[in-house]
Amino acid sequence: MEIEKKQCDVLCVGGGIAGLMAAIRASELGAKVIVAEKSNTLRSGGGGVGNDHFQCYIPEVHGDFDYFWRELFYGQLAGMFLKMDTEYARYWFENTYDILKKWENWGIPMKYEGKYEFAGHGFPGKQLNHLKYSGQNQKPVLTRQALERGVEIVNRVMVFDLLKDQGGNIIGALGTSTREDKVVAFETKSVILGTGSCGYLYPPVTAGANNNRGWPMSLTGDGRAMAYRVGTALRDLELTDRHAGPKYFTRYGQATWVGVLKDRYGKPVGPFVTKPDKRYGDMTIEVSKGIFDEYKKSGRGPIYMDMTGISEKDLKYMLYWMINEGNPAVLNHLEEEGVDLRKASIEFGTFDMTVNGGIRTNYRGETGLKGLYAAGDDVWVTISHAATFGWSAGENAAKYAETVKLPDIGEARAEIEAKKAMLEEIRNREDGAKWQEALAALQQIMLDYCGYVRSESLLSAGIDIMGRLKNKAQTSLIAGNAHELMNCLQVLNLMDLGELVFISAYDRQETRGWHVRSDYTITNPLLSDKLHLVKQVDGKPVTEWIEVKR
Amino acid sequence: MPPIINGNLCSGCGKCVEVCPTDVFFGTKKKQTPAVTYPDECWHGNACVLDCPIKGAIKLRIPLTMMVIYK
Repeated sequence: MEIEKKQCDVLCVGGGIAGLMAAIRASELGAKVIVAEKSNTLRSGGGGVGNDHFQCYIPEVHGDFDYFWRELFYGQLAGMFLKMDTEYARYWFENTYDILKKWENWGIPMKYEGKYEFAGHGFPGKQLNHLKYSGQNQKPVLTRQALERGVEIVNRVMVFDLLKDQGGNIIGALGTSTREDKVVAFETKSVILGTGSCGYLYPPVTAGANNNRGWPMSLTGDGRAMAYRVGTALRDLELTDRHAGPKYFTRYGQATWVGVLKDRYGKPVGPFVTKPDKRYGDMTIEVSKGIFDEYKKSGRGPIYMDMTGISEKDLKYMLYWMINEGNPAVLNHLEEEGVDLRKASIEFGTFDMTVNGGIRTNYRGETGLKGLYAAGDDVWVTISHAATFGWSAGENAAKYAETVKLPDIGEARAEIEAKKAMLEEIRNREDGAKWQEALAALQQIMLDYCGYVRSESLLSAGIDIMGRLKNKAQTSLIAGNAHELMNCLQVLNLMDLGELVFISAYDRQETRGWHVRSDYTITNPLLSDKLHLVKQVDGKPVTEWIEVKR
Repeated sequence: MPPIINGNLCSGCGKCVEVCPTDVFFGTKKKQTPAVTYPDECWHGNACVLDCPIKGAIKLRIPLTMMVIYK
């Protein structure tokens, strides 16, 4: 394999919303910026085909900031806010208005029928904080803005490891082309990780069909795995999460549906709405995403999203936003099936388990390791967060880059050669496990030993098995081409994260949300204000509890 | 499994090959009708359909396992 070398001041790993916002800002400040994206920035990431909710504070709409701030502790963002340092959370919402004005100027429609429209993800009677916006073409718009500022976008390259110097500073990153056998070595003063969410660690809704997921198959937690391997802390990895939405077409965007969740006989299952209401949707799903699973298990299911009684105007409204939320494929499918949403009820289900915890950063996007920044779903999963902290990380990485010299990755020559040999081994091995097989093996272990019920005996057994599987995968994975090699590297990243989920789950001796410990059944209030970190020290994972800074 | 390309309408412009987030068209040669090399990796996100310049040249077939359940 040949090695291509590239140099920059700021390397954005992942060209989603966070990565592109970081690239735009860093470039504005004069930095030489490269975005390395394993798909194509035009349609990559969790927001690739669109989003329709931008969480934000608009002074002319919301008025008093402190009142708005208190109201944030209800609804979708509540859980997140309880775990966020106050300085970080306030920075987010003190900056969303500026960010949304930029998006508006660049051509992302942030208004609906001429005004700011807030709807969804909110309880009747409470202040709304989710702005409806037409995000279908947000990625082409952000890509254009980055290119106009001189950012170099390197599509179809997966960055799979970071390089440090002897002093522990970031000096580069290694990538592999997903289209041809080629290593790309980036020599850079700083790296911003923005690789998105982490699905795929647990089995999918449909047995064997990994593509039936809420996020595309490229969102495999690469940033978290790379951050851990260079010694940064990851937060609350064991607090895995489950989303919900239309069964069996696994797709997010539950708050875009304008209906009432009802049982088979038409009785609402939640207390919030009795008829379709476009302002609020049905918040039952956000209070309990597991309700669909609970109803099924107890024999009371199924539960349907019932649009009966929706007005023509509200139906049109809902369909418009479904398209912008990135769900046109669901609508096309319903149309082809002849489903009339005014009369039919769509069954909803609880989806697969995903990793919710992420890289620990401050509001500047700093990870604690010199030259390493992170933003977007690698940190916390949500849209305006990615935009705001991508911007912040880009600004701070560019300023940092001004203070250091361009490093020489020659210092890491041995490491680069070793990684290249590892890639070549996977490509040249004649017999072994394809990535699909290795991933299925990982997922069954995650589910059986660190799934819906966890305990010391299950977790300690699982940690042993994970260790064996990882070793085996490292010495037996095979790839027939560069595309399959990318998939193998994704699986190896997932295995690293899987092991950390086990270790973190073992150490959290309480039950919290989907982390259900049969041997520690109580949710310990003393841990509510704490973050659970895992970090590599002397080659081994070490956990630590720290206070959320209020 | 998806996507399905109408060879009579497709101009071979390569837009779908360029944008597909999961690269299901891996290995497609320039200016040729895209090869659906990895259908199992299609996420059914519709990026190819959205960005295709020719209406009807490409569409998704939703697999039976993903059929929406309704009453």
